Amino acid sequence: MAEALLKGGEYLITETKCEDVFTPEDFSDEQRQFGETTQQFIAGEILPRVEEIDAQNFDIVVDGMRQCGELGLLMMDAPEEYGGLDLDKASSMLVAERIAVSGSFSVAYAAHTGIGTLPLIYYGTHEQKEKYLEKLITGEWCAAYCLTEPGAGSDALGGQASAVLSEDGSHYILNGTKQFITNGGFARLFTVFAKIDKVHFTAFLVERDFEGLTIGPEEKKLGIKGSSTTPVALENCKVPVDNLLGEIGKGHKIAFNVLNVGRFKLGAAVTGAAKAALETGIKYANERTQFKRKLSSFGAIQEKIADLNADIFASESLVYRLAGLLDDKLATIDKGVEDYYVQYQKGIEEYAPECAISKVFCSEVLARTVDEVVQIYGGYGYVSEYPAERFYRDERINRIFEGTNEINRLLIPGMILRKAMKGELPLQAEAMKAFEALMTPSFDDLDESVVFAAEKALLANLKTLFLILAGTGVQKFMDKIADEQEIMMAAADIAIQIFALESTVLRAEKALTGFNERKQALVRAAVKVFAFSASEIIATAARKGAFYVEEGDTLTMILSGVRRFTKYDASGLLAAKKLLAEAACEDEKYLFS
Amino acid sequence: MKILVCIKQVPDMESKFKVDAAGTWYDTSDLAWRMNEYDEYAVEQAVRLKEQLGQGDITVLSIGSDKVKETMKKALAMGCDRGLHVSDDQAAGKEPLQIASVIAAFAQDKGFDVIFTGMQSQDRGSGQVGVLTAEILGMPSVTTIVDFSCDGGVVSAKRELEGGVKARVKVNTPALFTCQLGLNKPRYPTLPNIMKAKKKELLSVPVAELLRADARQQTTKLYFPEKKGGGIVLEGDVGELADRLVQILQEKTTVLSR
Repeated sequence: MAEALLKGGEYLITETKCEDVFTPEDFSDEQRQFGETTQQFIAGEILPRVEEIDAQNFDIVVDGMRQCGELGLLMMDAPEEYGGLDLDKASSMLVAERIAVSGSFSVAYAAHTGIGTLPLIYYGTHEQKEKYLEKLITGEWCAAYCLTEPGAGSDALGGQASAVLSEDGSHYILNGTKQFITNGGFARLFTVFAKIDKVHFTAFLVERDFEGLTIGPEEKKLGIKGSSTTPVALENCKVPVDNLLGEIGKGHKIAFNVLNVGRFKLGAAVTGAAKAALETGIKYANERTQFKRKLSSFGAIQEKIADLNADIFASESLVYRLAGLLDDKLATIDKGVEDYYVQYQKGIEEYAPECAISKVFCSEVLARTVDEVVQIYGGYGYVSEYPAERFYRDERINRIFEGTNEINRLLIPGMILRKAMKGELPLQAEAMKAFEALMTPSFDDLDESVVFAAEKALLANLKTLFLILAGTGVQKFMDKIADEQEIMMAAADIAIQIFALESTVLRAEKALTGFNERKQALVRAAVKVFAFSASEIIATAARKGAFYVEEGDTLTMILSGVRRFTKYDASGLLAAKKLLAEAACEDEKYLFS
Repeated sequence: MKILVCIKQVPDMESKFKVDAAGTWYDTSDLAWRMNEYDEYAVEQAVRLKEQLGQGDITVLSIGSDKVKETMKKALAMGCDRGLHVSDDQAAGKEPLQIASVIAAFAQDKGFDVIFTGMQSQDRGSGQVGVLTAEILGMPSVTTIVDFSCDGGVVSAKRELEGGVKARVKVNTPALFTCQLGLNKPRYPTLPNIMKAKKKELLSVPVAELLRADARQQTTKLYFPEKKGGGIVLEGDVGELADRLVQILQEKTTVLSR
């Protein structure tokens, strides 16, 4: 049992043991096979057709989705009584990660299995599932999710789409325009959000063939060109009352809970894309010669390769730790109970802060990766003929959809503070202790017998620092803190990096004994490189936050606290980077898959 | 119909190989493992045969450490019915005859009608295990097949020979077939079948119970081929270059000979 009792956000005030986290090294033979099937299918059937897909030949996408259905890749989250496999989250993360190399196709897959299918699974009635679920999990129908409107993006509940009950009470009449609908071009089932009588935000299951639903033209996009993105117009669209999903006025629950899973899964998908992009970058660095030397022999290039390996290691550690948390939480729910999916939703909602962290951290690792990979390719990175360019274009959307990274950043400290105010997390008591620590000089020596002693000490200090800054902010702004967005963003960066670093250290510690000498040295190097980077990012965010919130003597005191609590002895950092880079160039891939 | 498929777990061929400390095999640490490519064709053909007949029982056999069970599970997920794992941590050091003797000892009294193996393993590549097994069992073997059909106990198989020549062979069962690239396209195990495979029988027996042959060969040294010298760079006028290129091709290669 992994850290089942750890609550959402609790990682900031508690210490976790490495035995209690799930890591990619813990995959079962079956899970590894899921990954292998996915990888072989994508490599064999989809990657050879990526160019055709990017030219918007959607028949290939629809056909590919059907093949996914045959392989069982669309039924992982569906309950067994409807022909699904009801597998754990770690499995579906692994599959999402392996599909991600396919770029546009991966977006169609993610939209279908995530926001497309999950609303029906979580909120559908027995009759609704009987009617639609089989079609979705076999790939006979593709699904789409219609929340965004021209005037309502991040402000998702501010939409204008309306629903009115028909006079005979048999139908709802929907009107409005939905925008940026992934899979719009070929989806057969749309989960549409609209306000009944302009007030009650509600979800509806709308078939493509329902009267009054029109699909608009394909958007011309920067990246993921082979994914379908269209507007969906509803003009007196007649939806049978039986197709109302969930409860009247509870549509926001559906919208947001499904997004939690989406954000978490996006973390896994972008991690897969990052591995693939890095691999092409490394291969190119080995091939390309300048000044009669391979690019991969230059320190400037090696450093990029080392940093990216460490970053992706952190992404991967974070995603699967979160998968383990969710799986353990969900395993505590009795599948027989009637309100299973209500409890299930609560279980996932518990980790909403971590889901947002997964989305932000991992998508930004991918952003750095594709940027550096283009840089390694140099001029050729700017040319469409080489793969770096596609990775670069396809990446950008990940920081926008499923909640922009700004929205997600605001949510992270926002949700954690709300938990504290509701008394679910003893943040205040811990913050008091943190302030005491700030006043008391510490001369603790590291216990060198402990594995990753320096990094663990750093983590404890970083948590103290988070509490000091959050405490200061709350003291000053009270319940208005959520409106101080600049401060919230700084707090988010600290919370994100702490979760990433802790996941990295715990995974490394857990995996160490199973690795041979070479790999042990590499993991230690990755931890050092990432710990240094995280401590520096946190130091900057913390200093910024301190300047935003405080002045005078208190500011001086907090700044000295920032210095003290972000101190990390990264001796041997250069050697660690060289080691990572040389090994990655030798293996020609991301080192820790 | 009773079918046996013999498979081997080999490293991913895209791995960077190193010679091990003893200098007689490759370093097996830190490698990703998968099913020998030719054995995938063997498994696929066995499953297709069972599907065609509408009945049958497929046993998959593999020799090696506990790690090979992961690969065996893939064969079970592809459609084999049961697995027999011959537990042997020193399988890599055994010569083809020893491996064949183990398979034959197991298969001897089981009444298999058809045995499929890969035509060779991607790592050792002796190409002998299949034929030696058939020989010990006293059944015919048909090697490097690229087509297979079975009708009433008679198998018709197409063999791939040197120089693009093919041969059509008819043989009565029981018989052994070694499978070559082009025979079929192995299926991807589906997720439901991966889950179902968890419940299939997968027994382990120690190799000592089945090993009937002593080692007669010894690998003395494993090494990378020496690097050849660099290429020749021709420079100068295009016309002259063409003449010199033709001359080199005539002298050093056979591409221009009639």
